Amino acid sequence: MLVVRDLSKTYALGGEPAMAGLDFTVGEREFVCIVGSSGCGKTTMLRCLSGLIPASEGSIELEGRAVQGPPEDMAYVFQDYSRSLLPWLTVAGNVSFPLKYKGLSKAEAAAATEQALAAVGLADRGNSYPWQLSGGMQQRVAIARALAYQPRILLMDEPFASVDAQTRAELEDLLLDIWRRFDITILFVTHDIDEAVYLSQRVLVLHKPAHVFESIEVDLPAERDQMETKKLPRFGELRTRVLASLRAPDTASA
Amino acid sequence: MIRARLGDWALALVVPLLLLVGYDLWARGAGDFFFPPLSVIGGNFADDWLFERVPTDLLPSLGRMLAGYAIAVVLGVAAGMLLGSLRTLATALDPVLQFLRALPPPALIPVSLLVFGAGDSAKVFLIALGALWPVLLNTVDGVRGVDQTAMDMARSYRIPTSARLLRVVLPAALPRIFAGARTALSIAIILMVVSELVGASNGVGHTVQLAQRGFNIPEMWAGTLLLGLVGFAFNALFVAVERRVLRWHHGSTGRGGAPTVRRSRLRRERPRPALTPTRTAVVLESADAGPATPDGRVPDARRP
Amino acid sequence: MAVTPTTLEDTVQLSAVPASVHRREVSASAAGSTTAARPGPAAAAGRLGTASRTDGPKEPGRGRARLRRFGLGLAGVVGVIALLELVVRTGLLPETWFPPPSQIFPAFAGLVADGELFGPVGQTLQGWVLGILAAAVVALPLGIAIGSVELAHRLTRFLLEFLRPIPPVALIPAAVLIFGSNLDMKVFLIAFGVFWPILLQTVYGIHDTDPTLRDTARSYGLPRHARLLRIVLPSALPYIATGLRIASAIGLILAITAELVVGTPGIGVSITDAQSAGDAQDVMYAWILAAGLLGFLLNGSLQAVERRILHWHTSFRGGNR
Repeated sequence: MLVVRDLSKTYALGGEPAMAGLDFTVGEREFVCIVGSSGCGKTTMLRCLSGLIPASEGSIELEGRAVQGPPEDMAYVFQDYSRSLLPWLTVAGNVSFPLKYKGLSKAEAAAATEQALAAVGLADRGNSYPWQLSGGMQQRVAIARALAYQPRILLMDEPFASVDAQTRAELEDLLLDIWRRFDITILFVTHDIDEAVYLSQRVLVLHKPAHVFESIEVDLPAERDQMETKKLPRFGELRTRVLASLRAPDTASA
Repeated sequence: MIRARLGDWALALVVPLLLLVGYDLWARGAGDFFFPPLSVIGGNFADDWLFERVPTDLLPSLGRMLAGYAIAVVLGVAAGMLLGSLRTLATALDPVLQFLRALPPPALIPVSLLVFGAGDSAKVFLIALGALWPVLLNTVDGVRGVDQTAMDMARSYRIPTSARLLRVVLPAALPRIFAGARTALSIAIILMVVSELVGASNGVGHTVQLAQRGFNIPEMWAGTLLLGLVGFAFNALFVAVERRVLRWHHGSTGRGGAPTVRRSRLRRERPRPALTPTRTAVVLESADAGPATPDGRVPDARRP
Repeated sequence: MAVTPTTLEDTVQLSAVPASVHRREVSASAAGSTTAARPGPAAAAGRLGTASRTDGPKEPGRGRARLRRFGLGLAGVVGVIALLELVVRTGLLPETWFPPPSQIFPAFAGLVADGELFGPVGQTLQGWVLGILAAAVVALPLGIAIGSVELAHRLTRFLLEFLRPIPPVALIPAAVLIFGSNLDMKVFLIAFGVFWPILLQTVYGIHDTDPTLRDTARSYGLPRHARLLRIVLPSALPYIATGLRIASAIGLILAITAELVVGTPGIGVSITDAQSAGDAQDVMYAWILAAGLLGFLLNGSLQAVERRILHWHTSFRGGNR
């Protein structure tokens, strides 16, 4: 599905690289979480993957096609929902905003919008403005916008980092539900180890400058539950392993 | 709430009314040639401006002002969008633009007369030229201040460039554009008057000047009053338009819009916890330290 | 309905701009917070050249960015002048309308060399200073009083909103009649025109003091006068500074207008004199250049002073976006 080969990025000429030799693949319908300490180049990586900025070296292929600009099959969910949602458009307006330019007719766009809003539990808030909603609801809108775009892969940049713990748990379960119901691959960046282990099938641990230090399979039961899953001994083991991997000295030089 | 508001207005009207009555009483008693009583000024106002001179003087004034202002806004927004997108050019032209903005527009009256003669076009030119810079510079700033996340969002969803400009950049810059347009409006009104004080054959400013030269004091004051009313009316109209167009902005920043103002005031005036003074201080500080998360917003603000 | 407050930022403003505009500027960093989000004054705005706020240049890059801005600006000035010269020389812009810059600048240099420039500039400045001083002496205390007494604030709200948008130039004929065509008239006109922005900014700044700050001061038991002096006034200062900057721009416009229209001595009169002298257009443009430079310098120096005094204010700290 997504193949990243030897990706590097250096901003200023002769400056420190933000990303060096990033190498990984994501399979069809996989849910992969990427964790890394802050400032390890996660944002640079995401911006490259999404085609917003070009990499200095290496290649990205999405479904066999090289990524050179923002690809059609990809949707990006930003951390800062209050800034990625346009305050002058209603919730429905925000969700349907990209659809017109994707070539959908008005009716098709309206139907897709309605469906996406229903999927995130906001069917009745289409006429509100984003700033009239709580933070968690705003991020739901951003997810609905991504869903309505009908991407094959969803790139998420710490999407739940700025909501409270309760809302965060709800959104995590919502996302898992969406992932199961829709034919979609998810690449989810977070700095929260619990979140990474809880959500994903595989955790990629990033070291600085952004490269994959270790890939950890999450062999938990497919059905996740905020209480039950997190009580499993295996959950604790995986969590410890990811943490150790994050803290490990970077011997295997990239 | 409506009653409270009426009360506010009644209160706000007390002082102006007292001032007017006070002036009238004083003017009647003093009999000063330069300061006739209100009734005399009012009588002249009715004679001149209801509505005898409206087509001959008021409408030409307003027409020139609106024409110049419209040119300034259209040109300013268009050029500002362009310059705002071309960062290097904007940086290079910054000193020149700052100079042009700082140049007091009336200094250009002789130029406008030189180029266009004494007709309408000279006045429209002057008004447009004076009002252009605040619109232009604010548009540039607005465009440059557009949130990077919003731009990334638009690009990642493959929104074409033209739509990005019109549907993301322009609305995002709109609050700044309105700020500039409001400044430009007062400049335009000032220049409307000034341009009529120099080489004009009609217009409200011209009428006032003629009255002054003929020592027709009540008529002069009536015209001055009209100019004040024009300034007030356009300003009020502008505010109304802005409120409507930028409703989302006032809503999203949680202030300024009528309903949200009330709300934020309520939030600000929350009762202080009944603790000892020192404790209170600590509580208040910790409660408000650090940037609020976006969750701190009013969750259920009603629809506008 | 709240009185729309007059907080102007950057662009030199003749009148008010809704305060919400600033708020937009700060809202990104402090959405909905009652603390950080105070409207900003001169701010970084208006200076197109500032390094973009989003890619946040690091310390070492700062000097280079400034140098780049300076170099680009210089290139821009030279480029525009060269372009004007070209446009006039090729006849695209008739020389009778606009003489080539290669004549305007020598004419300007001539005015400087034989000292002719300084008299009128001094007279314009004199009216400007006296007018603003006269307005400030009344407007500042009045604004503090109205801003700190809620009843006064409510009573005057409508009056101020009505008086503010009145174009001060409408009073020129009356002022000429009452004062004659002299310095008094110019000072009165300027004082009347700049009174409103100073007053409104002061009222608004005082009134809008952060309630948390007020409460904190009270809870620490600061006496009333100390609260006013140490808390309320400093937080109103950015607004007052903005008011003065607006006043400076309006004051200069009104000074030049009074000179042009009524003939009180100053730059404005020199412009009309040069115009009526017939073929002395380069001199006329030299005087216009002088008027522009004066405005440019006044604005620049006020901004510099403001930046020094208000270095603590969010809008000057930079990098908070």
